[in-house]
Amino acid sequence: MIISKLNKLAAAVSLTSGLLLTVISNSAAAAEFSTDWQLPENLTAKVQLLSAEQQVFIYSGAFMDFIPAQQLEHELAMRDAGDLATMFADLMAVAEQMGYDPERDMGAMPLNTTANDFNSGIILPPLLRDETREPGPFSVHRYLFPESGVPTFAGAKVAIWPEDLVAGDVDVAIVGVPNDMGSGRRNAEYGPRVMRALDTLALPDVDSLIDPREVLSIVDYGDFTIDNMSTELTVDHVTEMVAETAGTGAVPMLVGGDTSMLYPGVKGVAQTHGYGEFGLVHFSAHPDSDRDAVHTISDSQALFLLLDEGIVAGQDMITVGLRGPAVDAETLQWFREQKVRYHTMAEIGRSGYDRVLDRVLQEAGAGPDKLFVSIDVSVIEPSEMVAAGRIAANGLSVQEVASGIRQLCADKEIVGFEITDMAPMLDFSRLSAVNANTVLNACLVGIALREAGLSGDYVHPLAIDHGQD
Amino acid sequence: MNSIENKIRKPLAAAIVLLSATALPVMAQDAPVVPETPEHIAGKDPYPFEMRDFRGFEDPEPPIELPDSVTPRLSMLTAEQIEFLQSDAARRFTGGLEDTVTELEERSPTEILAWVEAMQDIVNRTRYDEDRDDSHIALNTDSTKFNAWRLRRPRSMDPEREPGPIQLGRYNGRGGPPTFGGFPLALTPEDLEAGEVDVAIVGAPLNMGSGWRDSGAQATVDMRVHGRALGGSDQYVQIDAGRVLNIVDYGDVAIDNASTERSMEHVREVVREIAETGAVPIIIGGDHSLEYPNVAGLADVYGKEQLSVIHFDSHYDAWWGSRHLISHGAPVYRLLNEGHVRPADYIQVGLRSSGPDEQAFKWMREVGMRFHTMAEVEQRGWDAVIDRVVAEASEEGRKLHISFDIDVIDPAFTTATGTPVPGGLNMRESITIVRRLCAESNVVSFDLVELHPALDPTYVSTLNSAFIVKACLTGLAMREEGLTDPHYLSPIASEHAVDDFYGDQQEFLDRTAELEAEQEEEAEDEDDEIEED
Repeated sequence: MIISKLNKLAAAVSLTSGLLLTVISNSAAAAEFSTDWQLPENLTAKVQLLSAEQQVFIYSGAFMDFIPAQQLEHELAMRDAGDLATMFADLMAVAEQMGYDPERDMGAMPLNTTANDFNSGIILPPLLRDETREPGPFSVHRYLFPESGVPTFAGAKVAIWPEDLVAGDVDVAIVGVPNDMGSGRRNAEYGPRVMRALDTLALPDVDSLIDPREVLSIVDYGDFTIDNMSTELTVDHVTEMVAETAGTGAVPMLVGGDTSMLYPGVKGVAQTHGYGEFGLVHFSAHPDSDRDAVHTISDSQALFLLLDEGIVAGQDMITVGLRGPAVDAETLQWFREQKVRYHTMAEIGRSGYDRVLDRVLQEAGAGPDKLFVSIDVSVIEPSEMVAAGRIAANGLSVQEVASGIRQLCADKEIVGFEITDMAPMLDFSRLSAVNANTVLNACLVGIALREAGLSGDYVHPLAIDHGQD
Repeated sequence: MNSIENKIRKPLAAAIVLLSATALPVMAQDAPVVPETPEHIAGKDPYPFEMRDFRGFEDPEPPIELPDSVTPRLSMLTAEQIEFLQSDAARRFTGGLEDTVTELEERSPTEILAWVEAMQDIVNRTRYDEDRDDSHIALNTDSTKFNAWRLRRPRSMDPEREPGPIQLGRYNGRGGPPTFGGFPLALTPEDLEAGEVDVAIVGAPLNMGSGWRDSGAQATVDMRVHGRALGGSDQYVQIDAGRVLNIVDYGDVAIDNASTERSMEHVREVVREIAETGAVPIIIGGDHSLEYPNVAGLADVYGKEQLSVIHFDSHYDAWWGSRHLISHGAPVYRLLNEGHVRPADYIQVGLRSSGPDEQAFKWMREVGMRFHTMAEVEQRGWDAVIDRVVAEASEEGRKLHISFDIDVIDPAFTTATGTPVPGGLNMRESITIVRRLCAESNVVSFDLVELHPALDPTYVSTLNSAFIVKACLTGLAMREEGLTDPHYLSPIASEHAVDDFYGDQQEFLDRTAELEAEQEEEAEDEDDEIEED
């Protein structure tokens, strides 16, 4: 498709000879699209030895997807005309194959339509459930003060159906979304299990001396079912379940799973609270804004999809800790155009985390009252989060992230929370899972502070000073 | 927005404005070469083979007959609803006849109507409905980088070189980036042909199956980094495969780790291109879905039903009935379904997981598949089973593919696998059977799958996996050298023969001398040849 456009252009070039090339290479437009690259004067003679199509391939900057400009200049300088013609013919043949061709390429993956369980995630209505209990959260323990047993998030009671959430007047439903299709290292499907297994959630907070379990009604809402052979076939069910959960008045706190689940997580909440009705603060090393992906959903496009579908307005989206390999000028420029408030590690390095956090809190404060907070654990420094699926060096400390999340969850009306991409098998010490729980706990504490009428920066006087001198 | 289009849009507009009055001819493009395989799925074609399980595993049970006593309670149901209630589809909700009657007796006719309607609704929503459900997983065909994942780097981008294997190190091949077994690198079929390559080891980092995800994708790299054991001499048979055969590292196959189905066709293409040069492909996975494109790629070259397959695995992998047409549990079924291999030519070794169940075993027996479970090993002993497997594999000198799932080995030796099952082979048994098969049978291809290095921080699983591949390389080299006697072992390596402890001292001394004489003769022949040249 692209090449056929280039060919049209080339045909035009051949009609008008050198005139058009001059127009292209000198136009302001040329500078705009090719990040200021200009063919050095001393190489123009070499380029003129090439065919019209090949000249357009170079001048238009289309070559840049296949060979860096500096390498191109080197090749132009070093090779003779015949060599260059061969190389550009090859590159353009590759370019021709980049796009989709229905005669050649599989445009969609066929499914077995005869499968008896073609649609997964079908839930039995009350009428067909074989249940003998009244609705409401229930304990999985035999003892009044259990030390162990069946692991649940925060050691909380279990709820299975939305009726349980309503009957228990539940404030927070922690639920696993063990999707595992991430683009980095995998095993996030074990995130929810291992975070349950470690008894490090819903702990009293040393600043406020508040115990979230005493203030909030928290439940373990199990896992939402996923298809780990296809994120595409997972998204709708998760969206539906999140919307249903939020509809009961409980705050869904989602535990991934990879970060593609941020899309159904936020979308589900939006189906209950309204599109564009709440802000999103996303802590992540990655921009997750691929605008040209082959798959319709993946962890590298969650933010793009949320913006593209108007689920969260650009000016209400704040992303903190960016530094991954996909953070390029094009993406940041796109964020800027979308009015996204982005805060890279470059900004944090220059201004210090405290100042940037203040800015984030101000931005969130100026936005809608309702807020969704999410964290891809890649934002955390790898020494404290070895198990990040898409690990990125030089991140924030757990303490920094937790204090930010605690304040956001206290200052705003939280409509949803999500933590993603912790792959426990990559950390044999399990420290990563402990730290993931610490971050989730920070939001529980924040919500509890708000419930207790305290602000996000509240510190109990007993906690800050021994008072002996 | 897509990046290339962005880059060309402005100048394109400029060109069109300048030349708006001129009709622009579109230059014809050469159509890309697509290998002709009847199964190739393009566009949005459906899967071109039977989808319903031909074994009839999912066939409905006969309907139950409800007694007359409950007839009055069914007064609100339509005839169709009564039929549903008696059918197999209602059993998952109502249980058998007795339970159904009990349930009916507890409900009023109105309640029964609501109850049956709820069941019908669930059944309807579960099954595929062409008006409601997509028969495909859609891709973004507008993406400008649709095929970027599998585009090959044009040779002309790098300095010109003669085709052939490339030594990456500066010290007689050593000291470069790690390759499989330290063997030289080959990137194209021309390299394989020019180097008269016998064996091409290729990675296929597919990371979609298994209970634990990470890091099938890491396995191909780890086998290069920690798998040096893959090369070198084998003491048991006194052969160094690298000196007998031309072996290369053929790099990795491009994989789309967001879709197994999408990766299959490309793996098949690369396996085919290796086999077409006459080299033996050794594929390092990746998960066991790979058995499907590996064998299909060979069938493209050698013909359908021309190959036998030995499937080493604790699982039988002929599972079917999911909405996905391939996963690491289904390659065997899909190969049979598409007619690449006859059931009678499938030999499974080491089965011991929770499946197959009795029905599946019965089916395997009926279609003539040869299975060797660990239950058989317990009955007959390993030595008897190994001889039987080698005999079956060598029938009629048929071409043989070995698919080796490392979970056939006991998890004590290969912790790092996705679906480990205890009670497996030990390394001595594993190495021996692989070496014997590759020496005594007509092995044309081999794969090793389901290594997940991140699960084993000691790297022992990777090391042991490398030794399995080495056992096959050694066997292939033995075959090349004519050492194909049953369970051949080097005479000097198996007996010091300083005394006559076993009473057969002389035999070992004679055999050693014979071998020496043969080798000398060969060396002389070679010298003569060189002189003649």
